Amino acid sequence: MVRFENVGMRYGPGPEILRDVSFALEAGSFTFLTGPSGAGKTTLLKLMYLAEPPSRGLITLFGTDLATASRRLFPALRRRIGVVFQDFRLLDHLSAFDNVALPLRLSGARMEDFRQDVEEILTWVGLGPRMHAKPPTLSGGEQQRVAIARAVVARPDLLIADEPTGNVDPDMGQRLLRLFFELNRLGTTVLIATHDRGLIATGQSQELRLVDGRLVAMPMVRP
Amino acid sequence: MNLGLRAQQKSVLPREAGAASLDVVIAIMAFLAALSLCAVLIAQRTAQDWRRGLAGKLTVQVLPPARGPVQPALARETAAAVQVLKTTRGIFSVHELSEAKTERLVEPWLGKGALVADLPLPRLIDASVVPGRHVDLVALRHRLKTAAPDGYVDDHRHWLARLSRLADTIMWSAYGVLGLIAIATAATAAFATRAGLSAHHDIVELLHQMGAHGGFIASAFDRHYLRTAFFASLVGAVLAAIVFAAAGGLEYVGLKPMPFLPPLALSMSQLTWLVLIPVFGGAIAWATARLSVLAALRNIY
Ligand SMILES: Nc1ncnc2c1ncn2[C@@H]1O[C@H](COP(=O)(O)OP(=O)(O)OP(=O)(O)O)[C@@H](O)[C@H]1O
Ligand SMILES: [Mg+2]
Repeated sequence: MVRFENVGMRYGPGPEILRDVSFALEAGSFTFLTGPSGAGKTTLLKLMYLAEPPSRGLITLFGTDLATASRRLFPALRRRIGVVFQDFRLLDHLSAFDNVALPLRLSGARMEDFRQDVEEILTWVGLGPRMHAKPPTLSGGEQQRVAIARAVVARPDLLIADEPTGNVDPDMGQRLLRLFFELNRLGTTVLIATHDRGLIATGQSQELRLVDGRLVAMPMVRP
Repeated sequence: MNLGLRAQQKSVLPREAGAASLDVVIAIMAFLAALSLCAVLIAQRTAQDWRRGLAGKLTVQVLPPARGPVQPALARETAAAVQVLKTTRGIFSVHELSEAKTERLVEPWLGKGALVADLPLPRLIDASVVPGRHVDLVALRHRLKTAAPDGYVDDHRHWLARLSRLADTIMWSAYGVLGLIAIATAATAAFATRAGLSAHHDIVELLHQMGAHGGFIASAFDRHYLRTAFFASLVGAVLAAIVFAAAGGLEYVGLKPMPFLPPLALSMSQLTWLVLIPVFGGAIAWATARLSVLAALRNIY
């Protein structure tokens, strides 16, 4: 599903943030990406969700070698990925409902076909009553839940979440994690970057640990 | 039903509040474009009027003879020339200008009174050509030579050519101005699009990140600028139309703002050409915005 081979990354002429990163995510797997702040977790995820090209190394996504693939294929690849950004990146002038509906609109679906899906997922993350509020009037945790709803609503093949539970209480964190597991059960490959060790202890999953730009081998959490 | 649901979908771009300066610039451009377009129309019509007014006319001038008694010779040659004209194919009306009328024609140059009365003035004969018919001038000149040796035919070709050239020059200059305005409008739209792109950089990047095609993102922008430019240039064109309608009204009540210029009044059917201005203004802004966004998107990974 995803394969990194000797990937290196630096921003402009700066220092190398990632060094010789190699790993593979199997289709249908559930993986946590951990590591201290500044280790390069967000950078690694950015390479995976096609926000930045790697400085060197090989990335294969859905069987497509990114270095040789035509850029024209990228939009279709990106639509197969759901992303929860560390800074949410919601559109402030759209309601929670319209933000969540955005990926469905981009894939060409019609309002009457997706209205129910959007309402369902917003209700699941506990935002049913706040559906028509604009992001600036939502709390940080509520915004984060809108971002999560937007990432999962289109049932992506790959879900990438960057600190998806950073702004919610532990109970809500567990509830959101159940959403990710549910999605995983339906076939989505999941990768979650987090500091929250309590989150990792839950369920069947593997861990990738990033320290100072390098991957450190970790055993399966619960094989 | 379907349409209603589609209309409910909010634009991915917030409604612009700070783009008023763009509207003003485009409205001014459209106003200037409308003025140039009107100049084209006026030049075209004037050239046509001049051609129509003079092209159907021949003038024969009978000069006073160099020797001998003047008046009898003038009268005889004029009568002969009239006869020649009347028997020329293609000419349907021949009209000799009376001495009094000729005197009035030269009055502005020579003054009134005794001096003029003594001066031997040439006689003028006005002939109208059947519209569309060609008069064989060589043959006419030849016959005139024998009948009235002092008669000269003038078909105003020289004047006409110069006036046509003048009208053409005005017309092409106005076309040139139109072209420059179109370029300036495109440049303005490109500039505004770039400003809009950087103002909404986060939105554009997010949509791009979510796998939106360039066309989807571009259409959010180009629709906005299409609407803006269309309405702004509509305002400019309407203002210009009002100006010309007012000028026409003034001329109608006998007030001519500029005595030496051809009439500024444009007919309703000519003013409808101004509809082209918002159409083109909108199209230029649309295409420029679209191309700018697509070009900017190509620079993102
Ligand atoms: N756009 C950028 N340009 C230059 N340097 C950057 C950029 N983004 C991140 N960095 C640097 O790369 C390093 C890794 O950043 P990254 O955001 O990947 O860390 P992280 O593991 O996600 O940290 P955190 O847990 O705090 O989110 C940091 O030292 C950061 O300063
Ligand atoms: Mg990070």
